[in-house]
Amino acid sequence: MCLSEMKENQKGLIQKINGDSRFVSRVVSMGLPPSSPFLVLQNDGRSPVLLYSHDTMIAINRKECAQIDVEMA
Amino acid sequence: MKTIALLGQPNSGKSTLFNALTGSHQHVGNWPGKTVERAEGYFTYGEDLFRVVDLPGSYGLTANSAEEVVTRNFVEHGNADIVCIIVDASQLERSLYMLADFAGIERPVMLVLNMMDVAEQKGKKIDVQKIQSLLNIPVLGFTASNLEGYSKFFETLKNAIEKPAKISSAKIREMSESSPVVALEELLDGLDFGNREKFWIVSKLLENDALVCAEVKAAVKPELWREIQNVLDAEDSNGGLITGEAKYRFISETLREVTAASEKTAKLSRFDKIATHRIWGKFVAFFILVITLAVSMTIAVPIIMGCFGLQGVVEPLVNNVLGSWPAVASFVNSVVVGGLAVTVAMVGFVFAILVTFGLMEDTGYLARSSYVFDSWLSRLGLHGKAFMPLVSGLACTGGAVCGTRVLDTRGQRLFAMVLLWSIPCGSKVAVVLFLASVFFGSAAPLFGIVYVALIFASFWLSAKLFGRKLVPVDERVGMIMELPPYHKPHWKILMKTVGRNTREVFKKAIIVIWLISFVFWVLSYSRDGLVAHSLLYRIGNFIEPFTQIFGMRWQLFISYIGGIFSKEASLGVMSVVFSSSSDAFSLIARNEAGANLGEMMRAAVSLPEALAFIFASMFNIPCVLAMGTTYRETHSLKWMLAIAGYYFAISLGLAFIVYHIALWVL
Repeated sequence: MCLSEMKENQKGLIQKINGDSRFVSRVVSMGLPPSSPFLVLQNDGRSPVLLYSHDTMIAINRKECAQIDVEMA
Repeated sequence: MKTIALLGQPNSGKSTLFNALTGSHQHVGNWPGKTVERAEGYFTYGEDLFRVVDLPGSYGLTANSAEEVVTRNFVEHGNADIVCIIVDASQLERSLYMLADFAGIERPVMLVLNMMDVAEQKGKKIDVQKIQSLLNIPVLGFTASNLEGYSKFFETLKNAIEKPAKISSAKIREMSESSPVVALEELLDGLDFGNREKFWIVSKLLENDALVCAEVKAAVKPELWREIQNVLDAEDSNGGLITGEAKYRFISETLREVTAASEKTAKLSRFDKIATHRIWGKFVAFFILVITLAVSMTIAVPIIMGCFGLQGVVEPLVNNVLGSWPAVASFVNSVVVGGLAVTVAMVGFVFAILVTFGLMEDTGYLARSSYVFDSWLSRLGLHGKAFMPLVSGLACTGGAVCGTRVLDTRGQRLFAMVLLWSIPCGSKVAVVLFLASVFFGSAAPLFGIVYVALIFASFWLSAKLFGRKLVPVDERVGMIMELPPYHKPHWKILMKTVGRNTREVFKKAIIVIWLISFVFWVLSYSRDGLVAHSLLYRIGNFIEPFTQIFGMRWQLFISYIGGIFSKEASLGVMSVVFSSSSDAFSLIARNEAGANLGEMMRAAVSLPEALAFIFASMFNIPCVLAMGTTYRETHSLKWMLAIAGYYFAISLGLAFIVYHIALWVL
């Protein structure tokens, strides 16, 4: 499943980041490499998804979320 | 003299450290040939002089943006004696990515764990000594916003320079051992990469880093490069995942033994639930912005009033003293005193904007407002952070130009400034609506609607003309943004920084304002105060056949020119040129409209001409202060003049179109 399909308060693990190397490098350097655990703080179905990982709150656009594969933890 | 390069992620407190170290001994300019801001400063410790280079903030070292290219070039090839990596101790694991990305560059390095106080509040215990022994480089735990704790910083720095230590990528290499890594290392066998370890080069190749790819391509034979390319193509963007994962594993292995934290489940705070809400969040942002502007006005208005009050006192004095040389008295009053009064008054607003925006940034709220508005601004290619400065343009263009500091890249800042110039401040709206109501009475509100539509049209035009160059399309990524935790503001450092910046703005602005005042004064001076005896009258008459193409007779054209000085000045000029009143003519007088200006104008100006003038006023250059602050904030006269030229052209172009349509229709 992709990141935007996760519901609020669900925990997950990043599996794979799909996209060009620029996008991958951006997501990785923000602290979300594969196998990072995270918690979804807010996902209202329209605004960017808010998640918490490595002590940091991160906002990710929905379109970009669709490029990030995750699994439930 | 030793050079220190400061390297850190956004929100790591890098600029706090930079400002605390260098105080007023800093210089901000541009990196040669780049649209990237370069901040440099000096400080002395003991008898030694240190130069500090504040590298543009980025989350990693892969060269994807102009800022990152600058940072990388300096880290790899610059003349730093030591690279000081600053990380946020309260978000250690994520923050240390910068160090992991740096590992493998053979340069003396020290690590600063900043915001130890916040980490402690969060219940994190960090064993700094142990990190130091694990990494084998000097490590300091401190709080940059606490000005008393700097002796420890200086000590660590001194030791780090005396006993230089480097950080190797060997451990990360172990963790990323995989077929592409081995294959690339074999292909690069025998090549020398100067001060960078081979694995570092390999990992940047895998991350498809433009600089390293170009460097390796140039260093090897074409056949070899093809083989390297084959390995990279097989991995595609997975290469970056292999190295990225390894770097974070290296970090968590390092931290496993040295940190202890009480496990807390993260939750959105009650305030954040509202502040990041799709709808309520926007209300909160507007509310905070209104308060911000109200506070700004409260700070600025007394300064502005005081200033013009003082001007009123000084002017008669000057006239008294210099009475026998009326030209000199007029020069001193209009240019020296007038320019100073305008500048000080407006700089009051700049100060207020810098304080309130600084507070919003310091506390972490600014990121929330960016989050809720990003979808609007990303259509133009701007970051959500541009929202606050753009809206505050409604209060004062010049002040808002300084507010664009909150944006991260110089391209974004320049682009935001271009847009800002088209956003009318209160005075501009008042002038446009005043003129509209004089000529079109109850139809005036219609002009408001057309004006708003035109502003959005100008955004579109600016995005076409400037946006692509300043914010390259391939560098735009959808929002992936950190929302930093809320902090208490660091008043002391904030006020110091704001004070210094305000002084800098003043210094640059006053030069521009005096220069322009002088030009305007020369143009409009006449011995007897009659327009007909001024230079401008002669020029205006001479070029009238040309300006009439835009629907402006000489009276209107010089009023338009007066509007470049300030919006009120254009009404002041009109009051004089359309009447035989005894007011002395001056382009820079801050007169309000004369009592019967409306009547006089209705009698003298035809409707098509009025339309041309109103539309020209809408996109006229905002004012002399906007020019001054834009010059200061872009650090480039060329850019300021380019933006001014752009709006000069737009406003006259619009006047031309409107005038000719009106001639045809009416």
